[in-house]
Amino acid sequence: MPTYKAPLDDVRFVLNEVFDLGALARLPGHEEHTPDLIEAVLEEGAKLCENELFPLNQSGDEEGCRFENGVVYTPSGFKEAYRTYIEGGWTGLSADPEYGGQGLPHTVQFVMEEFISSANMSFGMYPGLSLGAYNALHRWGSEEQKRLYLPKLVDGTWSGTMCLTEPHCGTDLGMIRTRAVPDGGGDGDGGGGYRITGTKIFISAGEHDLTENIVHLVLAKLPDAPEGTRGISLFVVPKFLPRADGTPGARNGVACGAIEHKMGIKASATCVLNFEDAKGWLVGEPHKGMRAMFTMMNAARLAVGIQGLGLAEISYQNAVAYARDRLQGRALSGARAPDRPADPIIVHPDVRRSLLTMRAYNEGARALAAWIGLSIDRAERDPDPDARQEADDLVALMTPVVKAFFTDCAFEATNLGVQIHGGHGYIRDYGMEQYVRDARITQIYEGANGIQALDLVGRKLPQNMGRLLRHFFHPVGRHLEERMEDEGLAEFVLPLLKAFTKLQQATALVAQRGLADPEEAGAASSDYLRMFGLVALGFMWLRMAETARRRLAEEAAGGAGGRDAFYEAKIKIARFYFAKLLPQVNALFITVNAGAKPLMDVEAEAF
Amino acid sequence: MEIRSAAVIGAGVMGSGIAAHLANAGIPVLLLDIVPAGAADRSTLARSAIDRMLKTEPAPFMHRRNAKLVTPGNLEDDLARLAEADWIVEAVVEDPRVKSELYARIDAVRRPGSIVSSNTSTIPLSKLVEGQGGRFAEDFLITHFFNPPRYMRLLEVVAGERTRPEAVEAVTGFADRSLGKGVVRCKDRPGFIANRIGTFWIQAGINAAFDLGLTVEEADAVAGRPMGVPKTGIFGLVDLVGLDLMPHISRSLLDTLPPDDPYRAIHREPELLRRMIAEGLTGRKGKGGFYRLSREGGARVKEAIDLGTGRYRKTGKPRLDSVEAARGGLRALVEHPDRGGRYARSVLLQTLAYSAALVPEIADTVVAVDEAMRLGYAWKYGPFELIDRLGADWLADALEAEGMAVPPLLRLARGRGFYRVEGGRLQYLATGGDYADVPRPEGVLLLSDVKRGSAPVAKNGSSALWDVGDGVLCLEFTSKMNALDADIMAMIRKAIGLVGDGKGRWKALVVHNEGENFSVGVNLGIALFAVNIGLWPQIEQQVEEGQEVYEALRTAPFPVVAAPSGMALGGGCELLLHCDRVQAHAETYAGLVEVGVGLVPGWGGCKELLTRHWTNRRRPGGPMPPIAAAFETIGTAKVAKSAAEARDLLFLRDGDGITMNRDRLLADAKALALKLAGDYAPPEPVELRLPGPTARLALRLVIEGFLAQGRASGHDAVVAEGLAEVLSGGDTDVTRVLTGADLSALERAVFMHLVREPRTIARIEHMLETGKPLRN
Repeated sequence: MPTYKAPLDDVRFVLNEVFDLGALARLPGHEEHTPDLIEAVLEEGAKLCENELFPLNQSGDEEGCRFENGVVYTPSGFKEAYRTYIEGGWTGLSADPEYGGQGLPHTVQFVMEEFISSANMSFGMYPGLSLGAYNALHRWGSEEQKRLYLPKLVDGTWSGTMCLTEPHCGTDLGMIRTRAVPDGGGDGDGGGGYRITGTKIFISAGEHDLTENIVHLVLAKLPDAPEGTRGISLFVVPKFLPRADGTPGARNGVACGAIEHKMGIKASATCVLNFEDAKGWLVGEPHKGMRAMFTMMNAARLAVGIQGLGLAEISYQNAVAYARDRLQGRALSGARAPDRPADPIIVHPDVRRSLLTMRAYNEGARALAAWIGLSIDRAERDPDPDARQEADDLVALMTPVVKAFFTDCAFEATNLGVQIHGGHGYIRDYGMEQYVRDARITQIYEGANGIQALDLVGRKLPQNMGRLLRHFFHPVGRHLEERMEDEGLAEFVLPLLKAFTKLQQATALVAQRGLADPEEAGAASSDYLRMFGLVALGFMWLRMAETARRRLAEEAAGGAGGRDAFYEAKIKIARFYFAKLLPQVNALFITVNAGAKPLMDVEAEAF
Repeated sequence: MEIRSAAVIGAGVMGSGIAAHLANAGIPVLLLDIVPAGAADRSTLARSAIDRMLKTEPAPFMHRRNAKLVTPGNLEDDLARLAEADWIVEAVVEDPRVKSELYARIDAVRRPGSIVSSNTSTIPLSKLVEGQGGRFAEDFLITHFFNPPRYMRLLEVVAGERTRPEAVEAVTGFADRSLGKGVVRCKDRPGFIANRIGTFWIQAGINAAFDLGLTVEEADAVAGRPMGVPKTGIFGLVDLVGLDLMPHISRSLLDTLPPDDPYRAIHREPELLRRMIAEGLTGRKGKGGFYRLSREGGARVKEAIDLGTGRYRKTGKPRLDSVEAARGGLRALVEHPDRGGRYARSVLLQTLAYSAALVPEIADTVVAVDEAMRLGYAWKYGPFELIDRLGADWLADALEAEGMAVPPLLRLARGRGFYRVEGGRLQYLATGGDYADVPRPEGVLLLSDVKRGSAPVAKNGSSALWDVGDGVLCLEFTSKMNALDADIMAMIRKAIGLVGDGKGRWKALVVHNEGENFSVGVNLGIALFAVNIGLWPQIEQQVEEGQEVYEALRTAPFPVVAAPSGMALGGGCELLLHCDRVQAHAETYAGLVEVGVGLVPGWGGCKELLTRHWTNRRRPGGPMPPIAAAFETIGTAKVAKSAAEARDLLFLRDGDGITMNRDRLLADAKALALKLAGDYAPPEPVELRLPGPTARLALRLVIEGFLAQGRASGHDAVVAEGLAEVLSGGDTDVTRVLTGADLSALERAVFMHLVREPRTIARIEHMLETGKPLRN
């Protein structure tokens, strides 16, 4: 049986020591959200995840969701856990206080999402989708819609979905067939409603028994819609039509036709939804649904990256435990535990390589997530418009990197977790194979990782002649320049500088070639994204290493003490990262440079 | 006969503009108009026209001092002075009686053999000379200028049956060489060429917009860039010309056109237009036209009139698939099924068929018609070039399919087209059915002809080298907007290598292109991308490379002559500064505008301009005046609005030439280069003894003054400080000799410092996004 302990220590280090969590409380609206308060919230969250959600993870996977007569039943214990969850106010953690939310910073939400994904990713899907629906309605909904739906989504009595995919289209949403026609009637919604007809598939949390109502946000086309994505509108379609007093009323024309049998996240209901003349209301402007959808999608993409991190973290925790316990053979240089029948496998270089790879990715990713989380809060609340724009640019730039690189690393890490367990990783008892299966979807949904790479090179790079890039490249470049003379940091600064320069060159190359031929950008995209992720994590590791060095020096000079081992470990992991992981950048630079020809030269028939 | 002096009668917009441009050609001009009743100054009309022109933008004069060449007068006191003029241009109201009486008065005083021409756009020559005595008709012709006369390159010339060929030749030669006009010989037919076709085109465009239900901005989006027409399109053009003018033009055409002319069939006066004119909505000069700018809470909102309701509404960005499709060629546009495609098809079918039916009725050749539309309406392609783009067969078939008549000339072009290249020479289809060479006047050398007839000596993605004959190599920029980049730098190095010591196959290098602008410097977008990803070492290396290449050009052992036309800004201007000579088109707009994007010139612009002021023999003594002069020119991003103004700013020097006619620019530059090649020696190195910090302090006081007066923004001051550092010589003093290399290093250091400034980056970004400088 696996175990889970939320990495509060590491979170504390990242938020308070590497970054300045206290700065959040200087943003208007977050005055009360001091580091102490946030820490208390996270401690509670950790307990909830460890004690309530985690115990249901393996059983939920084993049992899965059940579909009977149009009704979906979640695995045993989910209903009760969900009740506990909403009673704790976790659905409204970062939501607008005007609608009953707690208004905590997004940074806190980010950390919680990691804990939840470690503990029980399937469970996390239900409130996760609600948050997406909340975001879209909060940003684009009418006052009426916000008043009607947001309090219910915030207190968790209702949940939400995002209905995009159809049987014949996922990535290319311009092809959707779901139609919306004005129904002519007012129905008390002020602006007249629509009738929605069509089939949506792969709808997470599309139907379940956790909430009294489900709020579907549906992409559909109006009768006069232009072709392609310019003709998509967003509608809110509740499972039960709300009565005037806000309680669920008559059943709407939306029904679950089936649930999918999947590789992983089996406790998350993935539904086929049939809309038949379902009553819906337009959210935002006609034909501007993609814009509204991206409000959900951008947040969701970051959340998926975090899911990857959560899975990699729990896999790591259990792999370490196993590697310490499992006695097998002897260390190559002679017995380390001569009094025992064999040495623990953690003595082996290759096992260490695996464990360190997991840990270095995880902690680097956690730091990067914190940087992005803090930037989201700045983008929302910094009084200086330029600072808001800068933060927003950074978030937009890093969203595809966080989504794709974190989930690729997570798949790598969870596989390493299985590998360390040997045969025991492959059987179900240890729970390790579930993480691989659960991690696999994170590379696919919310825009497959290949699409993320295209987003990075095709949209984020050229936007405003590279303006988004500035808010990554300038801080990193400056940071390095300022530390060029610091001999103590040279072991980190120099390799990062080399990798950073390679990334700069690759960026110029991809932009230049991509301008002349988009195939070139496409061919380089995945390798380039990985380079970007590796350098970004390198930046995080430099910052963590220098923070650890500073703290060690402070402790030596008479500080509180007692955390030396923690900081020393950080520095050693940083060394591992710079020595063993970051150099991938060199190979990737070569493959980026290789251009499109090796890919496009092979005729389709020749495959 | 040579034209050495001129007179213009009628000081209205056209007359005074023509007078100004005659002055631009460097000859004295008498400008006469009537004496208004009760005027204290009897020449007030002419005098105030000249004053007004000194304030007009774009300026009718190429240099303010040219205004002194125009002598104001009046038709009562100064009529006898017409005897001084070799050429008398009449530009009075379009009334045959008024003109006739005036001609009689002119004829009584003018010098025998002098030439009289009318700027009429509507009255037939035959009618104008009716009843005039003596040899008037022999000396008379029509010279139809386009508005504004300085800038519009077309001059339509109509000679009568009795007009002396020498008179036509004298005016044509002068207009070509000294006024820089493209002279097109027209027949004595209503509207001549450009307005005959242009008016028809406008009418067809307005009709089709109403009939097919396009908004004005949609119509202009189709009948603009996709057709190779300025982006004003049709409605925007009418706003520019004036809505109220349209009924006058059409009435005069209806009065004079043959009874079966197709214009009669399409002529309409929509109620909306009538109402707009009545309400004073006459276009840009009025309270608005089809478009207007309205102020809404301080913000300027562009509005357009709704052709259906007649009310203004906010303009929408036209989204027509056909306009997108037009990137695939004109045919893709006219074959597109959406309303934009149908609009294009309707307008082009009618206009091109009309044009084809008018040769040889209004002009002898299709070449004349195409040139008239290109130069007079700024079309990128004339009607027959457009037909070739569509395909003569396609057009003939399309006309047949629509049940429209196929003009005989178009039938003649079936299966072959109106133009072809034969043996490297451009040929046109003559009305007899044979092809003939497109004629080029003596002294005209077009790079496009060279390119048609030969392979490049060298070529890369952004530039090419051409053999323009007699051992002269021509460097052409071919990049988008002629932006300067690494490929161009490489090509300059290549050219320097090829020409070698100038004693082999190549003797000299000319830098020239036929683009709208010579070069507006580096591609700012690409530069910004490099800045955004912090590629500082590479950026510095590019600055250094530019400095080295320009310096190599300057010190090359063979003559280098730049032949710019249009804008030469930033790095484009710096290039001029490094050439031995510049043979500039009169319409050259040069400037070191780097401060606008928060930088200083980095490719030797500071160094060269300072050196020019330093070595200027006419300058006052002491080190400060040249430093201050260069500081002012660069620090305020002065742009010369003509080649003549460029001399004042020392972008041109003594020995640099100015060519009025663009088509003659390359030939003039080549001749200059060959002249220099005779006994060429590269320029001697100049040694500067700059004062260093003391001069910098003096300039800082100037900057602080500007700051205090609010004439400089915070970042202006930072940039000016950097410029002051370069121009004062940095950390030096008068005892030290500074070389060009020292100044280049200083220039580079300041550039690299400024380019990393967030406010400089904001300026670059703003310039790219809005096209306007940011004052932050």
